[in-house]
Amino acid sequence: MSQLTDNLEKRTELYVDAFNSGDFDAVDSFYTEEAVAVWEPGKPLTGQARRDYQREFLARKPKMTAVPRQSFVTGDTALLIVDWVIETVDEAGVAERLTGVGVDVLRLGEDSVWRYAVDDPFGQD
Amino acid sequence: MAFTIDFDPENPDLTSDTDTQNEIFIQVFNSGDGELFNRLYLDDSISNFSGEPLTGAARLAFFKEFLVSKPSLKARVTHSYIAGDVALIGVDYSIETTGPDGAPLLLEGNCTDVLRRQDDGRWLMAIDRPVAATGLVAE
Repeated sequence: MSQLTDNLEKRTELYVDAFNSGDFDAVDSFYTEEAVAVWEPGKPLTGQARRDYQREFLARKPKMTAVPRQSFVTGDTALLIVDWVIETVDEAGVAERLTGVGVDVLRLGEDSVWRYAVDDPFGQD
Repeated sequence: MAFTIDFDPENPDLTSDTDTQNEIFIQVFNSGDGELFNRLYLDDSISNFSGEPLTGAARLAFFKEFLVSKPSLKARVTHSYIAGDVALIGVDYSIETTGPDGAPLLLEGNCTDVLRRQDDGRWLMAIDRPVAATGLVAE
């Protein structure tokens, strides 16, 4: 169990690295095929709509830091609570600082890799 | 045990429908039957209702103790995301119960629930995580 939790925390670090590289394909590989991402509150996106939104968001070269707060692992399913900060720019190019408490559901694939099934960055007020 | 919703206590299924999930959860909780409520979870599912992550026999023991006084739950779904065979649900809840001193106690907050679809197609609780705004569920 602790091994799985260790893998999960390591996974968060790798995700942040991929995010900060701005490489959308690298970031996309962290999601399951059916994943739901809610990068804009109230607007859950999946499939191509999720990919399009995330690709555009990453094009502004946002930089993220993330600190795992809690993790719960049961079998091949995990709930991860993460405090995060993103420095980016808004549509007008003005610097913008976003913060939130992410509520993420991850699944362990048959290849023993954790992937995001639900990515809800503003999941907790 | 009378349920006003289609629900088989011997073979519980929270279904993939968010409103049905919420209604079953409320009615089973309010039945006061901790053993039955526990059947909405898998053996290794994690419940944080007590303030600690509990599984298996410890979780069952807590549910029985917590529900025996028949606390009354109201819950409203705030969001629901389904990603294949896993779902994340958010609910605002309020529970009317009795404190250790016998006085009425109102517990309020919001709860994140992770549900999993089993190989037989039934949806069950995998993880719950309440964040209490008023009081603590365990006390």
